[in-house]
This record gives sequence, C-alpha cells and structure tokens, in this order.
Amino acid sequence: MKKKVLLLGASGLIAPNLLEGLQPYYDLHLVDVKAHPDGREVDQCDVSDYGQVLAAAEGMHAIMNFTVIRDDAERSFHVNTRGALNVMKAAVAYGIKKVIHSGPQFVRRTYDHDFDVADVPPVLGTGYYCLTKGLASEICRAYARAYDMQIISFVFNGLGPRPEAQVADADFPPFTVVWEDLQLACRLALEIEEVPDGFQEFNMLSWEGHGKYNVDKARRLLGFEPTENWGRYFARKP
Amino acid sequence: MKILITGAASALGREIAAALDETNQVRRLDDCGPIDKRGEWVEASLVDIQAMVEAVRDIDVVIHTGQPPPALPADALLCEEMLLDLATRGTHVLCQAAVEAGVKRLVYGSTLEVFGDYPDTVFVTEDYKPLPTTEPRVLAQYLAEVVCREFARDYAFTATALRLGKLVREEDLAGGKPDLMWLDIRDAASAFAQAIKRDNSDSLNWVARWAVYHICAPVPNAKFLIGRAEGMGYAPKRDLQEGAR
Repeated sequence: MKKKVLLLGASGLIAPNLLEGLQPYYDLHLVDVKAHPDGREVDQCDVSDYGQVLAAAEGMHAIMNFTVIRDDAERSFHVNTRGALNVMKAAVAYGIKKVIHSGPQFVRRTYDHDFDVADVPPVLGTGYYCLTKGLASEICRAYARAYDMQIISFVFNGLGPRPEAQVADADFPPFTVVWEDLQLACRLALEIEEVPDGFQEFNMLSWEGHGKYNVDKARRLLGFEPTENWGRYFARKP
Repeated sequence: MKILITGAASALGREIAAALDETNQVRRLDDCGPIDKRGEWVEASLVDIQAMVEAVRDIDVVIHTGQPPPALPADALLCEEMLLDLATRGTHVLCQAAVEAGVKRLVYGSTLEVFGDYPDTVFVTEDYKPLPTTEPRVLAQYLAEVVCREFARDYAFTATALRLGKLVREEDLAGGKPDLMWLDIRDAASAFAQAIKRDNSDSLNWVARWAVYHICAPVPNAKFLIGRAEGMGYAPKRDLQEGAR
C-alpha cells in the first residue's frame, strides 16, 4: 500500500513540479487555496486555518508543506509561521511523525562571499519571507523535540527544470536545484526513519562546482546525490 | 530619556513604570484603555502599523515587556493564535517602526522558561541553547526574542533580551515550594531600568548590538546564573528564600 501524503501548497511554484517523481510511489492528497496550474484536482485548504489543515491531514502518513507567502506584511506571518504551527499541531493530533517542511535558504545574504558553506547557522534577517519561514523552522524544532517527530526541511534559492542541451557562455547558477533532484530528495526524506534531533534543514542544490555551497549534509544524512552531473551542460569547450 | 513601555497594563508593565527614574518621560501602551491618570497612555495593538509609527515617535528607548494584553480570547485556539501573532508580527511591526523612527535601543522581556527542559543538574548560562517547549506562551516569547535579535543584526540598533524567571512577589510566597526560576517582579522591573542604559548601536559588529541576560532571584546554588546580568547592573534585592520558608 502506498503511503498517503498530504501535499500543502500543491498549486504553488514548487509542488506541481514534484508530482512526476512522487506519484508513482505515494498516494498524494493535493490541497491549496488556488487552482492547480495543470488542472489537477485540488482540495481547498488554507494553511493558516487550523481547522482546514486538521481536516486535510486526517488519514495521512506524512505531510509535505510547500506553502509560502513571500512579501506580505500580514499574510507572510499567517501562512508561513502560523501555517507551520498548524501543520505541526495537526500532525500531533493524528500521530503523524513525518513532515517535510520548506523555506528559503538563510545563508546567501551573509555568506555569499565565502566558500565551502555547508551546515552553518541560518541568518534570518528582518525581511518578511526569510524571517517568517525562519520562525516556522523554530516551531518545527520545538515540535520535533516535544513529540518525537521527524521533520526534514528543504531550503531553496533557485529551482527549475533540468538543462536539456549544452549551454554556452553561461554558468550553472549557484544554489539551484533541478526538479529531478528535488523529487529524489523528497522521496529520501519520506522514507528515512529518523534524522538527528528530529529536525534537520538541508540545502537543496544540484551542482557544487563553484566550491561555495554544497549538499554534504543531505549526502551524509539522507543519502542524497544529484541525479546527474549537471555541470557538464555548462562545460566550456577550450 | 523618553521611554515607551508596551504591555503597560500588565503587572510587569506597571512595575517597570514605577521603577524608572522620575527624570525619564514615559509613554505607556497597551491594547486597552488607560489604567490610571498618570502620564501619557496609548491604546493600540502591536500589530497596528500606523499606531506603532505614532507610538515610537520621539522615543529614545522601547521597553517591550512581552506581556499579553489584558483581554485574551477565551477560546484556546484564538488565544494561541493571538499570542503567536502579537509575539511575531507585533514585535516585527514595533521593531520596524522603531528603527525607521531612529530609535536606538529596545529591551525585550523574554522568559527563562525557554530552558524548561534542561535538568536541574546544569548551571544554565546565556551560552546555553534555548529549547522552548510547545506551550504557546513560551514558544511565542521565544519567537519574539528571535525577531528582536534579527533587528539587532540588520540595523544600527541595540536590542537586549531579559530572560525573566517566574514572576512572583516575595510576600506571597509563604510556605511555597521554592522554585529555581522565581523572580520578584520588582527585581525584574529593576533589571529593565538597568538594561535601558545599554547602547552599542554604533558598533559595526552586530554581536555587540544584541545581548541576552538571565534574570532571576539570587538564590544559593542557583541553576540560572545571573553573573552576566550583574555585570550589566542588575542588583536583585530579594533572594526569596525567607518567603518560601
């Protein structure tokens, strides 16, 4: 029997691109506040409303939260911070131990001139997007400790389709993950028994050639490895 | 100094106002009508952006008590959501208004309960990692502390978090079981009166602009060490040992 997984934010910028890599393995329950871009059936669920999240989570084995509001002074707090709290409470209510959380990377504004940036403390800053998602991570940590949950948080900068052909006069953008790699990471996160302290945040990127950001932690704890050597599409021909 | 006190209707807010030197000008703010006829009173919610812009005008120091307004919803879910919203969005609105108005100093009233899960075999200093529980009030106060820290990181702004013990009054403790977190509310207020003097806003290194102090009673063999706070000027007068006997 496939595991039942609640996918919050199913119509957003990320989740529709994950279905191809998740549907063969999981019974996905798609929910969002807006219609799916590809016309898929989506149940209504506003993550900032606890009652709606609770109803959507019933019968699930895991929850994936890809909801986000970026720059709204009020809704960012309600969706990103309170929404994460609602997800945690609903998971506790049904004994759901596995939650995939998501957010922005918290490192580029501080460490972008450094190299070998791996598992460094997140710098939230005061912008609505990063701060509210950072507060959400703190909520997840507290719930993981209190209820013995396993929460994997993926943090992103760039996301997009895989390169299809040789690219000239361009470089693979730093801290960018292609959909195939993120699909793999999600499958690994849904299957892993446990992570240290019940909560771990993972940089998601597909190419480490710059020597700046890397996926060492995901490699070490999740067994993640980018599905291809994407750098070869950007190789300069001498 | 011109000082804004939030949560001014709370017991802590009242004690802080009483503890401040009379040379200070105090503006008190809470989400209720004035509690007395003394001084300037602002009735507003922390999440009201325009009201906060007005409230911080001409202010030198903000004392953000972290205390909830008197009227919280009876419904547990609504109450939890309000506590979270005031602590996160409300603190953000207040800090943003403060930095935009040129306020250089803020003192926040956090809680030692963020260390509730540490065993009593540990001497807990400010170097220990907070492990907040999921209890809504504790979690909310911790998140507000994080918001204050980020403003100290991003702006030329001194933010000081006072992690307060459990607020009590010495005279009410007779026969009570001693608690390592006890703190007389008047000593708590005196800590705020000292902390408002801290100003590292000119420091280019944000580490100097942000500080955390543990504030509790000076009990023998304390779990929560207050040496760093004493260095900041905290001088508690009540060890609460007599009252507990």
